[in-house]
Amino acid sequence: MLNALNTDNSPFNEQQIASLQSSLGALDPAQSMWLSGYLAGQLSAGGALPAQATPAAAPAGQALTILYGSETGNGETVAEALAARFEAAGQPAELQSLDGFRPAALKKLEHAVFVMSTHGEGDPPEEALDFFEFLDSDRAPKLDKLSYRVLALGDSSYAQFCEAGRRLDERLQALGAKPFGPRVDCDVDYDSPAETWGTEVLEHARETLGGGEAAAQPANAAHLHLVQAEPAPWTRLQPFSSETLRVQKITANASEKDVHHIELSLEDSGIRYEPGDALGVWAPNDPELVAEILDGLSIDPATKVTAGEREVTVAEALTEHHEITRLAEATVRGLASAGGQDTLAEEYEALDDAGQRAFIERRQLADLVAAYPFQLNAQALVDQLRPLASRSYSIASSQALVDEEVHLTVATLASDAIGTERRGVASQFLNHRVGEGGQVRVFLEPNRRFRLPENPETPIVMIGAGTGVAPYRAFLQELEARGTNPDAWLIFGNPHLRTDFLYQREFLKWRADGLLNRIDAAWSRDQAEKRYVQHIVAEQAERLDEWLARGAHVYLCGALQMGEAVTSAIADALVESRGLDAEAAAAAVANLRREKRLLKDLY
Amino acid sequence: MPSPVEIIKARSNYLRGTLEEGLADTATGTIAEDDTQLSKFHGMYMQDDRDVREERRRQMLEPDHSFMIRARIPGGICTPDQWLAMDEIASTYANNTLRLTTRQAFQWHGILKGDLKSSIQAMNAVLVDTIAACGDVNRNVMCTVLPELSSIHAQVCADATSLSEHLLPKTRAYHEIWLDQEKVEGTPDHEPIYGEVYLPRKFKTVFVVPPVNDVDVYAHDLGYIAIVEDGELLGYNVTVGGGMGATHGDPDTYPVLAKVLGFCTPDQVNAVAEGIVTIQRDYGDREVRKHARFKYTVEDKGLDFIREELAKRTGFELEPERPFTFTTSGDPFGWHESEDGLWHLLLYVQNGRIADREGAPHLTGLREIAKVHQGEFRLTANQNLVIARVPAAEKERIDALCAKYGLDAYAKLSATRLNAMACVALPTCGLAMAESERYLPDLVGHIEGLLDKHELSDEAINIRMTGCPNGCARPYLAEIGMVGKAPGRYNLHLGAAHNGDRLNRMTHENINETEILETLDGWFGQFADQRAANETFGDFVTRVSGEQ
Repeated sequence: MLNALNTDNSPFNEQQIASLQSSLGALDPAQSMWLSGYLAGQLSAGGALPAQATPAAAPAGQALTILYGSETGNGETVAEALAARFEAAGQPAELQSLDGFRPAALKKLEHAVFVMSTHGEGDPPEEALDFFEFLDSDRAPKLDKLSYRVLALGDSSYAQFCEAGRRLDERLQALGAKPFGPRVDCDVDYDSPAETWGTEVLEHARETLGGGEAAAQPANAAHLHLVQAEPAPWTRLQPFSSETLRVQKITANASEKDVHHIELSLEDSGIRYEPGDALGVWAPNDPELVAEILDGLSIDPATKVTAGEREVTVAEALTEHHEITRLAEATVRGLASAGGQDTLAEEYEALDDAGQRAFIERRQLADLVAAYPFQLNAQALVDQLRPLASRSYSIASSQALVDEEVHLTVATLASDAIGTERRGVASQFLNHRVGEGGQVRVFLEPNRRFRLPENPETPIVMIGAGTGVAPYRAFLQELEARGTNPDAWLIFGNPHLRTDFLYQREFLKWRADGLLNRIDAAWSRDQAEKRYVQHIVAEQAERLDEWLARGAHVYLCGALQMGEAVTSAIADALVESRGLDAEAAAAAVANLRREKRLLKDLY
Repeated sequence: MPSPVEIIKARSNYLRGTLEEGLADTATGTIAEDDTQLSKFHGMYMQDDRDVREERRRQMLEPDHSFMIRARIPGGICTPDQWLAMDEIASTYANNTLRLTTRQAFQWHGILKGDLKSSIQAMNAVLVDTIAACGDVNRNVMCTVLPELSSIHAQVCADATSLSEHLLPKTRAYHEIWLDQEKVEGTPDHEPIYGEVYLPRKFKTVFVVPPVNDVDVYAHDLGYIAIVEDGELLGYNVTVGGGMGATHGDPDTYPVLAKVLGFCTPDQVNAVAEGIVTIQRDYGDREVRKHARFKYTVEDKGLDFIREELAKRTGFELEPERPFTFTTSGDPFGWHESEDGLWHLLLYVQNGRIADREGAPHLTGLREIAKVHQGEFRLTANQNLVIARVPAAEKERIDALCAKYGLDAYAKLSATRLNAMACVALPTCGLAMAESERYLPDLVGHIEGLLDKHELSDEAINIRMTGCPNGCARPYLAEIGMVGKAPGRYNLHLGAAHNGDRLNRMTHENINETEILETLDGWFGQFADQRAANETFGDFVTRVSGEQ
């Protein structure tokens, strides 16, 4: 792209070209995307670009610190969006990740907001672990001067909804800090509440911190590293409609797993992704499942309902706008109460926490409808259902190799349902409903936390189970296209070698070609004793430590439990190979994380 | 220049290669390509399910690799305990079937790489091994299963077993790799008979007791025809240079019948074998693998050379051959009493495949028999099975079990079906060009229809089918032989002798089922009209073809 600057009809002089090349070349794709959107937006709005690259006058008033702890990038996106609004409003703000946030800075903090994601079973994101540990410790300072507000992100279908945000909020108050507004807990449809919260935060800042109107000019590109909006133009709320190019099952027919390789076209979307990024997918619910539910409730599918601001048929509401495959606690309770099902309420409340978890995980809406004779009209039904959420998939391709395509590795989620087997909405849609030639609404979810090392010589250890292998395919495609050849080691796990080695031919070829130095696989069901990737880490402790000594980056991708098991296996490996005690090993692992050499993409 | 396989053998450090590394590789169901040549010497072939090759390619999975393991069973004899262990391997590690081969061995299919060691160790626990069951060495030594004289069978079988042990490779590789036995430092391996590159090609030895030629003595590299006079084993006529394998379209490859070289006494058996094997070791073709079988060495050098060279190596000369007669190469089904008063029941096993099929749970049935049987099992060269050494008092119980598990088909099926035999072929055999085991039973049904039409239902015409020209089911010694050419297409061979002493001839090339049946219909019509008294179908075809 940068070479185009050098062509004969380029409008730039040599000095400008050199300067542009040096600036643009340093940008990652998301940054380039932001800049192109920014420039296009400025020009289309008829606005003039700042004539010179001199910094705009710093906004008057005191800056609000926007801190975020993000695992998959959603928290980061929300925080960036808020920073962008402050910027546009000329209101001073400082965006900062909790990753590497210096505890010493905490006691100086006076005005701050926190965007805090919850990860796994109520845990803070990895990058905020140190911060939480400090906050919980005796070293935590008095925070009398701090005025703050928390936006908590979570998913109510998991246990301990928004737990990290709640913990943060409570701890800050315990340390003397004063909230300037109530904590807002967002479910997977966080856009609207997050925006409302942001508006309130911005107004509060205007009123209490000063600044605003006076300095409406955006800052120059030097601020890019601080203020990044979503890569324009396609977003979660404005997804790109992508054509499905290929749907190919990649587990053998005898496999218990139903995993498909999906190829989507990004032609003309302008979407540029990096290995490690994820793709957000909007998938409508299965019309047959919707019909089954409505039939069970004796609701006419054509009945009009109000969903959000739209008036649509109840069938469309359930197909396009509401969750029917993933239950949440509120949905169960709401349905029981609105539908006059005391039996359900009694049964559910009689369960302990684990029982309630299992109850929710093993059922879909259709199962409840089949089991309990609800008395619900169409509107009452829709009112109890959460809005439909998008699903994320780690991208399994590199654009350096596949150009305007994006590949996904999708396992059909089969719920452990009682009676009928139920499928996950997006996995079932991608694997079995959309078909080649069909359209899928997608958007990029950048994940800067899961990138190949900057140094092309740095060894990489890629640990993943099941579809967790997806980003490693992207990594190796990228290395193949770049022609760089760092030492690379794949540790993969799945039930059976014969049926479940995803992309086996490709990985074997990469090994044969020397791009991949080693493959170690744990096949959990191929022998009497179950074997998982963490067992390989344990067995290969010496080798792993030797790779670490050479500066290797270690990647973990797959299910949360796997991530935890492998992380502790790595600590044990250090105990084994370095003779450390458990505490020192844990510290060494934490250090790897801080050095960004232990990178996780877990779900 | 030596053939590529010779180089692999030479570099293998007595059959080790990188087999251990390959077994430890968790990313693939394969072993290294060069090692697939070496694994044969350890009794295993790497294969894949060819039915799913294309599907798995699209699924980005490697071919569905698994291994065929063949056990060495000298004389085809095993105990009930050994049977139970073989059965256990079939149901635990293999595809739930046990395959009896045309060379009296057990074969398992579908064993995954990760289960190879467990399978070999399970065999070892009952004193069975797979050493030299395949590969360029002397393979399983065969022996006629049902002589009328049990004392002769015992003696001949003892000679066969002794020879099998004598010619076993001596490398410790098998014990190290499969049985986890310790490597003995500082004692390099040594192969006194074979040398470090073993033989140029596979080598097959059989023992036969006339008048039954069930082992097809003429189809093997080395044969011993028992000469019995007044109930006493005098010795053996030694045959050399037989072999079935050929390649389509290559006139330099062809099946050859073994020739009698002379007579030796029982105490000379091992010396003769060692002499013959070392002649092949030293004079066999190591450059062109297709020309490396002993049959070509014998043809190229001549019988006189072999005889003289053998005398030099053994220090004695063979005596002139003794007279003998063969009547049939088929199996005599049903009960037989031997001179010691024990009984032997020869059961029909369709294509040697013992499985649990609907209405015919043979695998289960034979397991139940093995649990109560006190004698032994004998695998026949026609892929059938003998429940041997049954006391008269136990016959009824064995019969009842056979009836219960559908193992009594030998008493019900047509003589032609009982004499039909197919190799494994698709989907596991890498050499197959056409179906064989999965198809022959259907084709025999059509042939039975034709025989009925011509009122020939009682004829025991032997029919053999292979999926390729390499000849595992010895199709060139069948009265009706079919050799796979392409999916659904076969070369038709007619006119071998019923006793196995004359090869058939190819009469039609590359024909399909309709053409096969039309051709046979014509021949059966002529045979019914024009046969001489007691003339067999093979003899008839040969006589009429000669007259034309």
